[in-house]
Amino acid sequence: MARLVVLGGGVAGHTAATFAAKWLGSQHEVVVVTPNSKWNWIPSNIWVGVGQMTREDVTFELAPVYKKGGITYKQAKAVSIHPEGGENHEKSFVTIEYTGQNKAGETEEVEFDYLINATGPKLNFGATPGLGEGSQIGEHTVSVCTADHAVHASQELKKVFEKAKAGEKQKILIGTGHGMCTCQGAAFEYIFNIEHEARKAGVRDNIELKWISNEPFLGDFGMGGLHMKVGGYVVSSRLFAESLYAERDVEWIIGAHVNKVEAGKVHYELLDGSMGEEEFDFAMLIPPFAGVGLKAYDKDGNDITDTVFAPNGFMKVDADYTPKPYEEWKASDWPRTYQNPTYKNLFAAGIAFAPPHIISKPAKSPNGTVINPTPPRTGMPSGIIGKAVAHSVCDLITKGENAHLHEASMAEMGAACVASAGKGILDGQAAAMTVYPVVPDFDKYPGTGRDTDYTFGEIGLAGHWIKHILHHLFIYKAKLNPGWTMIPE
Amino acid sequence: MVREIITYPQQPSLEFGVNVRKFDEELFSLLDDLKDTIKENNLDGLAAFQIGNYFNVVVVKDENGDFIELVNPRIIRHSDKTVEEESTAYFPGLSAQVARYNDISVVYQDRKGNDKSLQAKGKLARVIQRKVDYTFGGNFLTKLSAEEKKRFEEKLGGKSDIAVGGVCPTTFVRDKFMLGANILTALMIVNFIVSFFVSDTLKETLWNVQLYSSFGVVGLNIAYFFYGLYEGHIYKQCTSCQVGNFIGSVAISLVKLTVIMLLSYYFM
Repeated sequence: MARLVVLGGGVAGHTAATFAAKWLGSQHEVVVVTPNSKWNWIPSNIWVGVGQMTREDVTFELAPVYKKGGITYKQAKAVSIHPEGGENHEKSFVTIEYTGQNKAGETEEVEFDYLINATGPKLNFGATPGLGEGSQIGEHTVSVCTADHAVHASQELKKVFEKAKAGEKQKILIGTGHGMCTCQGAAFEYIFNIEHEARKAGVRDNIELKWISNEPFLGDFGMGGLHMKVGGYVVSSRLFAESLYAERDVEWIIGAHVNKVEAGKVHYELLDGSMGEEEFDFAMLIPPFAGVGLKAYDKDGNDITDTVFAPNGFMKVDADYTPKPYEEWKASDWPRTYQNPTYKNLFAAGIAFAPPHIISKPAKSPNGTVINPTPPRTGMPSGIIGKAVAHSVCDLITKGENAHLHEASMAEMGAACVASAGKGILDGQAAAMTVYPVVPDFDKYPGTGRDTDYTFGEIGLAGHWIKHILHHLFIYKAKLNPGWTMIPE
Repeated sequence: MVREIITYPQQPSLEFGVNVRKFDEELFSLLDDLKDTIKENNLDGLAAFQIGNYFNVVVVKDENGDFIELVNPRIIRHSDKTVEEESTAYFPGLSAQVARYNDISVVYQDRKGNDKSLQAKGKLARVIQRKVDYTFGGNFLTKLSAEEKKRFEEKLGGKSDIAVGGVCPTTFVRDKFMLGANILTALMIVNFIVSFFVSDTLKETLWNVQLYSSFGVVGLNIAYFFYGLYEGHIYKQCTSCQVGNFIGSVAISLVKLTVIMLLSYYFM
């Protein structure tokens, strides 16, 4: 019997573990190690953040689902990986520390034949002074990165709406809290959902909305932008976004690195080197992401973290990490199998793998501050990668170590994204976007690096319905309800 | 070399907003062509997109008439929005009231790839904003208020569907196939109702008519779908040409047909 250990139970980890357990059956063991007791459909957190959904609507208990799927569940966080084994272990093992299941604080060494690292990111609030400490959010701003954060954001937003209702002018600042953030899409959704709710509540006139982000232009979304179809015509996502922001009366600051947060005020540096300040009554700033801080040790206990992980804490996989200038970036730099080049029984999926470089055009200010979005890895690519990696591991287990590995390069896969701009059965709006490929292939598609026939987006009510349907569909799938394997990633 | 400036209603490329990654002879030649074309036409500036090039390149003249080369420009700061009369080479001889910022900060690269920034005010700021919009596939139509856009469209001859990206026809050939399918479907409903008032022999004939009509509806739907795909390739800029619309229209038509045929099968 072989054992596959999956670190993390997010989109990538959950997909990998559930498919692996289905394909391997009871002959082999699949273990999931995740510090959370609940699964969270993160894309709907923005609706929790405006009070349109509850925490329970976007989460469910993992234990019964893993029991149903025949998966061993350990509610714990991974501390260190020992790919060569150790003093008491012939086989590879991972050290974990329990966070629940009545064993909080206890540690355990779990042996494995194969390991999929799908821990997701550490929410690195501590990277910006005042935004938080380490992975803990500070007191000045809110976040929608987790369901609990979103509930808190909703409560704070309600207070702001009450003040606005009482006639007090309120200023809301939404965006990214550092020059190297990703997930601009979530912030985009949040600001327009707030705008929508403010109009519904009749307080829009007393609320000033402002966007602040590290994008070099509105609508970059960390992907260098895309082509949208708006009002019947093809335009860049920049013009689409600028029109939308102007139409909804939302001002914007872009090319910004937020370098300090205080009570009611952020300080930032722009790409042109100038410095600025912005006051706020309510701010939701997405933190930068980093690896979760896993360590790695060899058989003798020597630290080999640098071998297994990139400096940002994400796991090295089969990407080309040679530093290259922008003009030399190629689609082939991006990983295909997500296998660690040194230890062939280690894989990474979702946000946990180290990308070779960013997707947008790199940029820094004259002061040397890097201000550019880092690569987004939304649910669809994460799910596809998780499934491909699970397939590879299953083949390695059942067919032997020479089995062909499955591939899922982000430079060859498309992604669809539905960004909500307001929730409502009849007055909701969402921008539905498809991008192919996610990572531009400048050799195959000279120019933008993307196939314009498959890279487009459109905004409307139908997009909102799709977003709502996807919410129920993916939660249904994640709960392993009948027919779950037929629902695509 | 002086290049031809694309003017309305000529359709510019659907490829735009392409970042310059290599600062080589191709770029230098493009920059020189833009300057020659500006001089020849006595313009304030030009975006590469206006001469049919998809690169993110703009050349403008500053207050002294000197050229500024902006490669991969991004407007990162703006203030002082005002509405002023503006004209552009894409719509020769026409102008419109356009809202733009009077004070902007632009980051860009020079022809050697060095990072630069520029603070621009007044007329220069407006020209840069207009040209940068072109590099992202737009023109000043995207910046007009609804009323001003309507006025501008009247100046263009009352055409309501103009934009960079080309012209979307208001009717398509494929719609005739769907119209045929809808007419045939309506006749089938009449046929079904009539069948209740005729003899059994004639009813049998009407059933055959119903059957052959259903083949016709299916055939017209197939023709609609594939002709729609063909038109989608011609009018890539039109959202009404997206395949999802065709699938939806065909699905609605076939659902109606299925209901009529089921009723006919059991009652005729």
